[in-house]
Amino acid sequence: MTTRALDPVQRRALRQRQLRRAGTYALATLIALWILLPIWLIGTMAFSTSRDIYAFPKQIAPIPFSTETMEFFLNQQGIMSATRNSILVALLTLVLSTLIATPAGYAISRYFFIGRDAFRLSVLAVRAFPIVILAVPLAVTFIEWGMYDRVYSVALMHTALTLPTTILVVSSVFTSVPREFEEAAKVFGCNAWQAFMRVVLPLVLPGIAASAIFTFVMSWNEVFAATLLTIRNRTLPALILYQLNKSSLQFQYAGGFFMLVPSLIFIFFIRRYLFNMWGQITK
Amino acid sequence: MQRLRLGLAPYLLILPSFIYLAVFFAWPMGRSLQLAFVRDSQILPVLSEPQEDADVVGRLPMQIEVAVVDRLKTEELLPNGRTRPVYWFKVVGEAENGDTIEGWVHQKNLFIKSRTESDTARVVSGEGAKEWTLDYIERMVNDYRFQEALKTTLLLIVLILPIQFVLAITMALVLQSRLRGNTLFLYIYAIPLGISDLAAGLVWVTIFTQRGYLNTFLQQLGLIDQPYIFLSADRQHWMIVAIVLAEVWRATSIVMVIVVSGLQAIPHEYLEAGELFGANLWQRLRHIILPLLKPSLQVALILRTILAFQVFAVVVAITGGRVLTVLAYETYRWYDPGDSGFNNPNMAAAYAGFIMLISLAFALVYLRTVRTQEEAARE
Amino acid sequence: MAEIRVENAVKTFGKVVAVDHVNLTVHDQEFVVLLGPSGCGKTTLLRAIAGLGLVDSGRIMIGDRDVTYLPPKDRNISMVFQSYAIFPHMRVFDNIAFGLKMRRVPKDEIKRRVQAAAELLHIENFLDRYPSQMSGGQRQRVAVARAIAVHAEVLLMDEPLSNLDALLRLEMRAELKRLLAEIKATTIYVTHDQIEALSMGDRIAVMRDGKILQFDSPTKVYDMPADRFVAGFIGTPPMNFLEGQVRRQNGDVHVYIGDYALKPIPEMVETLRRYDGQLIVAGIRAENMEALSEPAEDALKVTVLVVEPLGSQNLLTIRIGSDIIKVATHPDFRAAPDQPIWIRFPADKIRWIDRDSGKALVPDLDRLVS
Repeated sequence: MTTRALDPVQRRALRQRQLRRAGTYALATLIALWILLPIWLIGTMAFSTSRDIYAFPKQIAPIPFSTETMEFFLNQQGIMSATRNSILVALLTLVLSTLIATPAGYAISRYFFIGRDAFRLSVLAVRAFPIVILAVPLAVTFIEWGMYDRVYSVALMHTALTLPTTILVVSSVFTSVPREFEEAAKVFGCNAWQAFMRVVLPLVLPGIAASAIFTFVMSWNEVFAATLLTIRNRTLPALILYQLNKSSLQFQYAGGFFMLVPSLIFIFFIRRYLFNMWGQITK
Repeated sequence: MQRLRLGLAPYLLILPSFIYLAVFFAWPMGRSLQLAFVRDSQILPVLSEPQEDADVVGRLPMQIEVAVVDRLKTEELLPNGRTRPVYWFKVVGEAENGDTIEGWVHQKNLFIKSRTESDTARVVSGEGAKEWTLDYIERMVNDYRFQEALKTTLLLIVLILPIQFVLAITMALVLQSRLRGNTLFLYIYAIPLGISDLAAGLVWVTIFTQRGYLNTFLQQLGLIDQPYIFLSADRQHWMIVAIVLAEVWRATSIVMVIVVSGLQAIPHEYLEAGELFGANLWQRLRHIILPLLKPSLQVALILRTILAFQVFAVVVAITGGRVLTVLAYETYRWYDPGDSGFNNPNMAAAYAGFIMLISLAFALVYLRTVRTQEEAARE
Repeated sequence: MAEIRVENAVKTFGKVVAVDHVNLTVHDQEFVVLLGPSGCGKTTLLRAIAGLGLVDSGRIMIGDRDVTYLPPKDRNISMVFQSYAIFPHMRVFDNIAFGLKMRRVPKDEIKRRVQAAAELLHIENFLDRYPSQMSGGQRQRVAVARAIAVHAEVLLMDEPLSNLDALLRLEMRAELKRLLAEIKATTIYVTHDQIEALSMGDRIAVMRDGKILQFDSPTKVYDMPADRFVAGFIGTPPMNFLEGQVRRQNGDVHVYIGDYALKPIPEMVETLRRYDGQLIVAGIRAENMEALSEPAEDALKVTVLVVEPLGSQNLLTIRIGSDIIKVATHPDFRAAPDQPIWIRFPADKIRWIDRDSGKALVPDLDRLVS
């Protein structure tokens, strides 16, 4: 910046600009703190000794650092198997949801057919619907069919929960690949399947992976349906919820933190695609 | 043939999801209504003649007294070729709607002291029947916990949504102003998207619990001498505050993402034109950004309202579900076969059906909104 | 009184220098066009003047006020955006009134001025419509009406016609010119369309790579381009370039293209003398050459490659040595591919350009004066 004398009007204008910028930064940081601080605090608890957990006033950093609380939680009866169940359910949901949704997303994005709008709108409506509420009738049905309290029945429920979102996301990802790419591939000698595999798939793979991760997170987090559909084969949130009233603070803090960690990691990977997922609702 | 296959392709592609949604969405939805509105019962058909295949003249409910006005002894053929005596009784009784019904009934459906002499009998069996009933709904509506739950749920919506929208719009505007480190801010703001309601509830327990961070903070400021018990049964307002904060903390991100997408769809030149023609930040927000954001805000509002009727684990984590209750928790409690639940799927279905109905109404509003927006966009 | 002065303005985006030490003075009520290919920095410069993007260094003055760091609303300017930026949620009336409302102009005054602006642009019957109910051309008019309704001293226009189809653009060009003459604002108009620039501007600033290469009246820019880029950018077809060698012959200077000798005008002789023995570029416009179907003295024999009848003229593509040039002839002129024709180069129409720097050579005025 050139060093020259600025008249007062200029100086004020410049200062106002800088102030506003600084204000925006302050605001941005404040909001970030509002989100991060509670996570930090429960993290602190999760890595404190049991004495510190019941201490008052509370420390704001895990000093001394201790895995005692986490270990206590993980060694509780059923936690490990519930974690395994949760991962299994989430993976099953991810696979089912992606496999079923991808063709539908492709169809919505690429074909014009009678009923396309109706189908898309009903998917939209289903997504807006509180699907977990369907857990009650499904639980009753699963009992009748002998499918109650099974890992895969929770996954079936979760797939119904995630399917509409996945369909819409996948279709928006496909829409972002110009149809001309596919047509060019066909002109240069691919059939429809080859054009899809060689040109479209590599381009949409990241988007579909993001949507799959999101599916995983949704399933990992879901508690209502999982609680209703299981008794012995609880998923992690279901187990924690069930034991909440009879559990210690250690259990709650460590459990809360343990459930929260995957989202920290997964959201990082899919942050670019978040707008793909929700942005297209209005379009 | 080629053309036909092309025409079928999209339908084949959507078929799996169509079937899946039919089986795991439409069907359970119907089943839920059935659970909430239908009761299994028995009812006794009364016949015009003392024969199995005679016309039905009316039906009698279970466990009522009927007058026996006539009787007929016949023979019944048994599988082994022998016969045994069987009685048919002509009875007069009152049907459920108050009509008097007179006709013949087989002995197996009546409890009668003496087949040859008694002139009254009691109806004990009939054929299975599904019966529409409003009993469950009535019971739900009259349950004081239902009213509590509905009140709390609505109160939470009224408290949470305005804060959430103001915060989400602020977050979106901050992100839109392209600060250095924007991607980091975006990531941080999006983190709650992946946090479950249960975890969020537990996070806020660490803050609001008796020996928690809020008390630590207040004490360090010198505002209190000893920990204040926020989460106790007689301080429900503090529980509400904790739930509101937890929900705002957890579920604002989704609104933020929708608002940011909406903002991105607004051409930058609109805002520049506003700036150029003299609008300050507030005027730009009021005259340009908010009106143009209306479609996104509508969508976010409807979605958030629907989601708010499902608020569940946050409340359980913070209140234990006993002091304050919400609709989703009542659903869970009625269904739960465990120690603290009632193991009554019909009542649970009634609650679920209630939430569904409200959500369905909102979902339809949502669809109409989206459709109008799409049509407007197409113009 | 609103003269615009840009002094030593620099603006960079990362490593890209979008505006590179630009100096520009636009007189009061003048209509100046910033012309250049995309990415030349013209829009960045305009936005810096508008206050939509600050310069990194340098100064921007409007009238005698330094506005370098002022927000747009304090600069007393107005603007037409490339995409019009007509607010879709406001009726035409409210769009035009927007700037006035923000300035808290009284209601009846707003009404009067909106009406006046709308009438100037012939959209007074559309005031109750929404932009979505209007055609592109009508929206463009709304954008202009909004810009002139605020009666700003400075009017900035960022490629306002580029979103219109060709016919509409032609019509709007003339109308805008009339309108701008009427409202007497100091106007800066950004475009990449050289015909627009030539037909509308009082002066044209040709930009490339963040620098202003030439700032002159349209005729000067067209006839006396300051360098090879300007010569090649302006005009349809662009100016032709021929490479030749300068040779001194007993006090006289000739430029040889192959065996053919071009004789420069006397004012250039001194300048060219310094290039003795070196290569130099001769620039000449297609319409300034004379095509003959018969051999003639001082005419160069060439072979026609392509003939393009354009109605008002025939455009011939011919090869001279290693150069391909275009010659415009009368539509009656007979020529066919692979046929020879003869070309004459009027000496006063030739512009001489330094081969290395690309700068046009100017007559050696010092020498002439002394």
